Amino acid sequence: MRALACLIVVATILPGPVSLATSARAESSVSVRVIVNAKNPVARLERRFVADAFLKKRTRWDDDSAIQPVDLGQRSSERAEFSHEVLDRDVSSVRRYWAQQVFSGRGVPPPEVSNDADVVRWVAEHPGGIGYVAAGTGLNGVKTVEIE
Amino acid sequence: MLALVASTPASADDALPDENAVQIHAFVSQGALLTTDNNYLAYTERGSLDFTEAGINFTKQLDDKLTVGTQLFAQDLGPNGSYRVNFDWLFLDYHWRDWLGLRAGRVKLPFGIYNETQDVDAAQPVVLLPQSVYPEADRQFLLAQNGLDLYGYLPIGRAGSLEYEAYFGTLYFSLPTQLGVQFAPVDVPYIGGGRLMWETPVDGLRAGASAFHGTLDINAILSGFPEPITIDLTETQWLASVEYANEGFLLDAEYGRIRDHTTETSLGSEHPTAEHGYALAGYRWRPWLMTTLYYSLMYPRVGDHNGVANQQHDAALSFRFDITAHWIVKLEAHFMRGTAALDSSLNNNVPLSDLTNQWVLFAAKTTAYF
Repeated sequence: MRALACLIVVATILPGPVSLATSARAESSVSVRVIVNAKNPVARLERRFVADAFLKKRTRWDDDSAIQPVDLGQRSSERAEFSHEVLDRDVSSVRRYWAQQVFSGRGVPPPEVSNDADVVRWVAEHPGGIGYVAAGTGLNGVKTVEIE
Repeated sequence: MLALVASTPASADDALPDENAVQIHAFVSQGALLTTDNNYLAYTERGSLDFTEAGINFTKQLDDKLTVGTQLFAQDLGPNGSYRVNFDWLFLDYHWRDWLGLRAGRVKLPFGIYNETQDVDAAQPVVLLPQSVYPEADRQFLLAQNGLDLYGYLPIGRAGSLEYEAYFGTLYFSLPTQLGVQFAPVDVPYIGGGRLMWETPVDGLRAGASAFHGTLDINAILSGFPEPITIDLTETQWLASVEYANEGFLLDAEYGRIRDHTTETSLGSEHPTAEHGYALAGYRWRPWLMTTLYYSLMYPRVGDHNGVANQQHDAALSFRFDITAHWIVKLEAHFMRGTAALDSSLNNNVPLSDLTNQWVLFAAKTTAYF
């Protein structure tokens, strides 16, 4: 127990970030852009709508077509930033949310791809696709939307 | 083709993931329990490893509105479970609109913040959820129902959104033999209930209420009684919930009451009302470390808080270590006062009033999941 207590004390008094999101922000200054399929008529979206889409609480665009979100891998700095700024949760909390959903039969998480280029490919190939990429990523077949 | 949906994103050279593939997720947990006095949930005074869970689920999206899925679950916890494999959930889900969907089959019961995920260690900050509200010993009773489940999610502008669920069906379960009482399979004519949660405009803050009503017919043979007895139980529960989960913070509080109306053929009638509640605070210090404190209390009879057997207080401190994205370890200590949550049959049939009032429970658990 003394070793455990020492471990906890060391972990809690160390200076620095307290969450994965802030940790990632400290390591990277990437600015995340939310993208949708180029044929999607939306030009701007409310932050809460995007959060609901990635948590699969909302599954339909206004024209009743399916929303098809795609995520980056859990170690991605863009994902940490997106989780912090749009979902208002750190990646660990999002993982716990999906464990709750998956093992209670309430839903499955969005598919994950490994890099920005694959996010663009996914969104371009899915009419209802929505994803996020770092600024400066080539946007072939997709477009950025403004987040309000 | 089966696709594992663990965190293994497609590499640049891979084809993009197929969102229509069968998704498979699974978990395996092993826990340990040790008490300074009294046996709790298992034979814990000597230390017990009878605390094992495993589950695997399969989900297939047939089209953008129709999903089928099932989860197989096996558990060992003291006298309960014994690794018998059950269908934890099994349903067809028609998601007609975001504001209205229908599940038919065996569906997890929405009750409070944690009921649907009680048996999912990876989803919880602690080893043992506050036992006053989510008792491990009753998990087969209130975990899932067979019937219909209507659910929806409705944004309400600047006021946030509403998440709601209502169900009607029945339960299939058996009670273990204890204290010289042998139970026949429980007949449940019906149960019904629902949950309404309001997601407030404050990010991470939600509040709501759950209700449950059902009738159970229990037939039992008691040693010393010449005839089997029949117990008709009507139970009504409600639970108020509030949660704040934002960045690393997790704050939960729940309070509720359980009203039973019990009629026994030879023992007469009872109408006890129990109350239970807890407050929980957790903080994720690091991606790999979360600490949680909670205080949980339960009174089996609202009007009688006297005597060790009429109260259960539980102050818990828990540490969750996320070793990797798929492996967690939890350690916790519970400082207990009262004996209302104990089971005489695990304690040499000693009456609850004669068991040790103040005792400590240590729990450890490790889970791998994907």
